[in-house]
Amino acid sequence: MKKLSVKDLSKPIILVAFFLILTILRPSSFLTVGNLGNVLWSVSIYGVMVSGTIFVFLLGGIDLSIGTLCGLTGVTCVMTIRAFGYTPAGVIAGIAAALAVGLIAGLIHGLIITTFRVPAFLVTFATQTIYLGLSMILTNNKILDCTSPALFTSIGKNPVPIILMAVAALISWYVLRKTETGRYVYAVGGNDQAAAISGISVRKITIMAYMISGFTTAIGGIILSSMTQQGMASNGSGYEQYVIMAGVIGGISLLGGEGTVPGAIFGAMIIGLLQNGLNLMSVPSTQHGLVRGLVIIAAVGFDALQRDTKFQSWLAKRRQARAAGKSAA
Amino acid sequence: MANNEIILEAKNIYKSFSGVPVLQDVHFEVRKGEVHALMGENGAGKSTLIKIITGVYSKDAGSIWWEGKEVQVNSYADVQKLGIACIYQELSVEPPLTVAQNVFLGREPRKFGLIDHRKMIKDTEELIARYGFPLKADELVANLGIGLRQLVEILKGLSCDSKLLIMDEPTASLSGKEAESLFEIIEKLRDQGVSIIYISHRLEEVYRLSDRLTVLRNGQNAAVLNHEQIEPRLVIKTMIGKEVDESAGSAKEMRKNNNEVVLDVKNFSDEIGMFKDVSFQAHRGEILGFGGLIGAGRTELMRAIYGIDKHKSGTATLNGVELKYSPKESIKAGFGFVPEDRRNQGFIPLLSTVKNVALTNYDIVKKNGTSISDKDERDMGIRAIKQIDIRPDNPDKEVGLMSGGNQQKVVLGKWIQRDLKVLIVDEPTAGIDVGAKDQIYSILEDLASQGIVVIIVTSDLQELIRVSHRILVMRKGSIIKEFDSGIVTQSMVLEAGSGIVD
Repeated sequence: MKKLSVKDLSKPIILVAFFLILTILRPSSFLTVGNLGNVLWSVSIYGVMVSGTIFVFLLGGIDLSIGTLCGLTGVTCVMTIRAFGYTPAGVIAGIAAALAVGLIAGLIHGLIITTFRVPAFLVTFATQTIYLGLSMILTNNKILDCTSPALFTSIGKNPVPIILMAVAALISWYVLRKTETGRYVYAVGGNDQAAAISGISVRKITIMAYMISGFTTAIGGIILSSMTQQGMASNGSGYEQYVIMAGVIGGISLLGGEGTVPGAIFGAMIIGLLQNGLNLMSVPSTQHGLVRGLVIIAAVGFDALQRDTKFQSWLAKRRQARAAGKSAA
Repeated sequence: MANNEIILEAKNIYKSFSGVPVLQDVHFEVRKGEVHALMGENGAGKSTLIKIITGVYSKDAGSIWWEGKEVQVNSYADVQKLGIACIYQELSVEPPLTVAQNVFLGREPRKFGLIDHRKMIKDTEELIARYGFPLKADELVANLGIGLRQLVEILKGLSCDSKLLIMDEPTASLSGKEAESLFEIIEKLRDQGVSIIYISHRLEEVYRLSDRLTVLRNGQNAAVLNHEQIEPRLVIKTMIGKEVDESAGSAKEMRKNNNEVVLDVKNFSDEIGMFKDVSFQAHRGEILGFGGLIGAGRTELMRAIYGIDKHKSGTATLNGVELKYSPKESIKAGFGFVPEDRRNQGFIPLLSTVKNVALTNYDIVKKNGTSISDKDERDMGIRAIKQIDIRPDNPDKEVGLMSGGNQQKVVLGKWIQRDLKVLIVDEPTAGIDVGAKDQIYSILEDLASQGIVVIIVTSDLQELIRVSHRILVMRKGSIIKEFDSGIVTQSMVLEAGSGIVD
């Protein structure tokens, strides 16, 4: 079997290091069940969303619309529940409606991208504002409260979001790691021409990826509307940044063909721990953005150095030289 | 008109890549106002020589002289300043811009710091009138056909007062009529004192246009011929080299087998005439070679039969059943396809040998429910490594990091796991070392002996003759010659492919 290398272990090591640093700096407040539960709760939506959007990343695509689609699906869910008079049946209908909206949005992205060969960046950049606009029209730009029934509000309360994240990640991991479809996603992302000659329908795989991305975004939207107990157009705006960030920190190549679900979840965790650490250490929120940006650069830079063969051979030479120096001494 | 004044001279040029000599003591000169053709087989060193002249590659030894002075060229910009323009096969014109905008791209005439459109149009019109091109200065390039786009490219080169134009296979993608008007323009340019280096595989063009011809063979000067000495058979002999032509690998007896027909292609044509009304049959256990020049339509024909590209009319049947012309369905029916462009179409560089080999074979890899049996997938990869000696034998090695020969073995390896009926291989050994080449030949021979039809498209004549049982030669989209019996030599194939048919 394949041997584990430093590269494979680097992510758990970083995660443990984060844990240790925060434990040492804030021993009484960090390592408590309540706080760790909070961290997981706060990253659960990113975790759910990245579990689906990873399909798009692996194809070398991007989905910028997931933030505002998260809002639109949340609004859809809340409005349906309200229309059903806050009944459990309404919750089921609301969830179904939100998921349908997510799937349709993904289908539209996939169709436009594969039919007209428009870059995914442009398509989802446009639909990003379309979804926000639709949410605003639907809600009349007002906040729609939805504080009952309990079936709805419990979705956003621990441990449900954490369980949903775990389930989404597990399914996504299974599909990508264990099934034919997963193999095809990596193949298309790695070289679409070679994949097509190997009999893989690049178009089908692409449409599927955007639909999965839309689906998990809808789950994220439902969780978010339950957490906030409201439907609001601007809910979720900007989440695409966190999801992309989670992917990139987790070692997903935005060029496609490379990355894993555990990596993406690791990325989401780092974002959560970072945020939590900044809060616990009372860093003013004005400085959070700066720190987050620096962490991304560090993560991406670290990853690039590991891949860079020149750097690696330089490192190897240095090691050799040092070993030679020692033996000489 | 051509006089004897030499404008460009490359003396004693040496170049090698990672120890392999590509050019050895090559001498090349171009006179003022002449069309000088450069010919040679694939790998003879033509493009390397041109890249040294245009500053793309550095030379190991030798000197370049321009108008009697030795010059150092380190980049294409240096060369442009001298007055040399290169017209590449892949055109660099910008379709959304007008002819004038393309011609003056990056050095637009300015007035008060702004682009002076009026002057740009006027200057372009003057140029067009001077050389008599059928172009309009304010026409959008997007509206022009490929032939006229090439003229825009040439005009761009001429607008920098170029004294020497280098044209690399300029007619490769032109229709007969477009090519004819290009020839007229080339002759007109020559009459105005412009020198032209003309690189082509097409003998009749060279014969028609060139004042002189330099032939390279194996990185060395084979001959410089004057127009009256350019005799097609002599040129071919010079390109191939007598001693090679008489050696064992370059002549072989063809033998048509009388097994049943497996693949039957009838009247195959595409939309744009890359192949026209092509019919052929392939028999069980046969290695059928497709010879011809680059651009003869062989690759396009194979891609259409397999179903990557569309065709307009005609049918292809496998054991009597018509194909569905999609890669997925063709694979199901028993096809395998090794594409011409290995790096971009052959394999997934980031994935391991195991996953590349398994890619077309998930219908035969064992599964538990929906999940792939990792062990079975891996066993298949290991089997392929053993079957065809893929190195390194680490099944987890990323294929992108392997050598060309082993990458190609991985591409082949995925097909030989299947119950194949037809395997199409397009330029299977391009850029592959000699040892791996031999291994690939024996794989192909082995497959044929199992009854599989192997169709090989190759521009390497020696390879074509060595591997094929029967050879079809294509030219300008049609099969023009079949060699199915008797001794065939490289010259015979090249003559047929160049249009010198008995």
